[in-house]
Amino acid sequence: MAEWSSKASLVCVALVVSSAATAQEETSASTLYGDLQSVTQNMLTRAAGDGNNFLHTNGNYAQTRYYPASQIDAGNVRNLRPAWIFQTEIVDTMETSPIVVNGVMYVTTAFNHVYALDARTGRQIWHHKHAMGPVTTYCCGPNNRGVAVAGDKVFMGTLDAKLVALDAKTGKQLWETQIAEAELGYSETMAPSVVENMVLIGTNGGEYGIRGFVKAFDTETGELIWTFHTVPEDSTGVWATHDATGRDMMRDIEAEKAALASMGDPYETLGGGVWQNPAVDLETRRIYFVVGNPSPDLDGSLRPGDNLYTDSLVSVDLDTGEYVCHFQYIAHDVWDLDAVSPPILTMVQDEAGNDVKGVLHGGKTGHVYVHKADDCSMIRFSEAMVPQENMWTLPTAEGARMLPGANGGVEWSPMAIDPQLRLSYAINLHQPMTYTVRSTPYPEGKLWLGGSFDVIADEEQWGNVTAVDYDTGRIAWQVRTAEPMIGGILATAGGLVFTGEGNGLFKAYDSSNGAELWRFQAGAGVNAPPSSYTVEGQQYIVVAAGGNAQLNYKRGNNIIAFTLAD
Amino acid sequence: MIRRFSAGLAAPAALAALLAAAPAAAKEDFVLEDEVAVCTGCHGEAGVPVEPDYPVIWGQQYFYIFTQLRDYGAGRRQNDVMTGIAAEYDRDQAKLLAEHFAGLAWPDIPSQTEEGDAALAEKGITGGQCSACHGKWQGDSRIPRLAGQQAGYLARTMEDFKTDVRMNAPDKNSTMKQLDDATIAALSRYLSDLDIQ
Repeated sequence: MAEWSSKASLVCVALVVSSAATAQEETSASTLYGDLQSVTQNMLTRAAGDGNNFLHTNGNYAQTRYYPASQIDAGNVRNLRPAWIFQTEIVDTMETSPIVVNGVMYVTTAFNHVYALDARTGRQIWHHKHAMGPVTTYCCGPNNRGVAVAGDKVFMGTLDAKLVALDAKTGKQLWETQIAEAELGYSETMAPSVVENMVLIGTNGGEYGIRGFVKAFDTETGELIWTFHTVPEDSTGVWATHDATGRDMMRDIEAEKAALASMGDPYETLGGGVWQNPAVDLETRRIYFVVGNPSPDLDGSLRPGDNLYTDSLVSVDLDTGEYVCHFQYIAHDVWDLDAVSPPILTMVQDEAGNDVKGVLHGGKTGHVYVHKADDCSMIRFSEAMVPQENMWTLPTAEGARMLPGANGGVEWSPMAIDPQLRLSYAINLHQPMTYTVRSTPYPEGKLWLGGSFDVIADEEQWGNVTAVDYDTGRIAWQVRTAEPMIGGILATAGGLVFTGEGNGLFKAYDSSNGAELWRFQAGAGVNAPPSSYTVEGQQYIVVAAGGNAQLNYKRGNNIIAFTLAD
Repeated sequence: MIRRFSAGLAAPAALAALLAAAPAAAKEDFVLEDEVAVCTGCHGEAGVPVEPDYPVIWGQQYFYIFTQLRDYGAGRRQNDVMTGIAAEYDRDQAKLLAEHFAGLAWPDIPSQTEEGDAALAEKGITGGQCSACHGKWQGDSRIPRLAGQQAGYLARTMEDFKTDVRMNAPDKNSTMKQLDDATIAALSRYLSDLDIQ
């Protein structure tokens, strides 16, 4: 059973702990192995304080990835041992966030397999293999980041651009909906989110000339409720010359204006994928998500203007999908240094030192951006978490070196926060690259980068885990890793953060100072976000070790659950 | 069935026009078995091509074969033999052929690597981020299987991308320019020696 933190000195923390204790009381009686109780909206809403389940891809609607259980803590984590290992049929890249409902775990693999497991033993309950259509178009690897759960259903997006609903008890498919046309470059690797009667999902395809969106579908029928196009019909913007941090982006505005006059607005093939879940604010009934790069990635000559709302934080109305506000980090991006890591809702200090509802985003640029939730405006950005050089050198025909490389900074990997310490935790890549531009016309759903970003093989690559004080933007601590980091991170009320590496190491750090407290060699790349849960009074940490296609980390097929040794 | 054809760099406007070209009319006397017989003349009776720089198409990905036939037919990929053949097929006929060959077993073709190939190939793979799309080289949908493909074909294809002879996957042109000849040769042998897992 979870033990609750006694460090509730701040009002917001007191609220979290209070709701956590209530949720614990409500769910503990029914937390029995095999009890496939329906997931109610109340459970989803109060997930931030639920120390038994792990109900959302990023822990809760605010996407804090802060797990409230503290049985496993800085003092005993050295005794963490594998409780069980489950091997999936697919030995390939794994990015799944395990979801746990009353002792039943749902995980996914590459190529859209779904497994229901006994979270206490790892025994398979059911296995669903999606009947993949003949056409899939995806970058970067046949990934899937997991399921959403609600009622008696499990929801998953697929590589052939479908949304499917499965029976949580049996794994049988209940319905499927074609979200968009796979042949044109649309695909799904993100996990959906469920709010009330809606399944929310974005789309991949920024590398294929799609027009991005977030859509809401009916949980019962799969019918479309609303669509928000991440690229408006007027994508021009304000002709911004500097990025969010004030750097000159070297745009030729006059040339772009001339191109716009001759070719028109490029919105139909402008990209703007949404790779990760939205944060949901039920109080204001808004959602917050980030929009990825414009298409083609490196060639701005075919897409004059700011390319709204690519590379942006965007908020829309939960019920209608109507635009509320946005903030663009990089206008007219030609480096693919876009916005991918899911935003986090939490209280932050504004410029005057007052606590306001805020949004955090870890950028590929290597900055953590801090926003006001009410109007999306930026309060501050953090110190750079990775080396930055030659920003913003334009891509050339020969290839121009600039840091960060196109994978970041922070890739799609979700961050976590500790709301008591007021720290965000991000995993980063340092991967020096050259940026090459080569203009080619829209290729009908084929890869459309407009050039290439190439790793400079002779230069050293590495990664890091970085804690940032989001009230000041200062780096609180930083730990370097042997390889560029991709996957995700989890913080817990036990004073820990957990994250894995491409070389198979899965580690626990002291969340206050970055001291490494525990490690385990998983035998394949640990490049997926960890989750935590409690069954019959025993807290577990679980993570997938399947490697990563994008960075070519060793593939595997293991779901590994850890708990304290007796 | 595929021979080298130096078409040079097509102008973007010409490519755009090709992309918008009307779909081919159906080949009137299309009989699948007859068309397959034509293909086997070069691609092999048992899936083993008759020349080392002809590709294996038995067991290749359905949508990749279909896309290549469409690209040959529309002039987006050029070859003096394949262009003429593929131009006669409409979408349904191209799909029938793609389904046929995708359903056959990939042949086992002996291959040979040289000392140092693996290290050089891995360096090239890292630099080009090849696995981001090609995964474990087994192919999927529009991404072709590379594992076990003929080394000669792989080398020629990479060279064709590098020298702008092949233009129907334009981003490969930029990527392949980053690879030197030794890396391309090593990568070709390395991939031809792999089996899918």
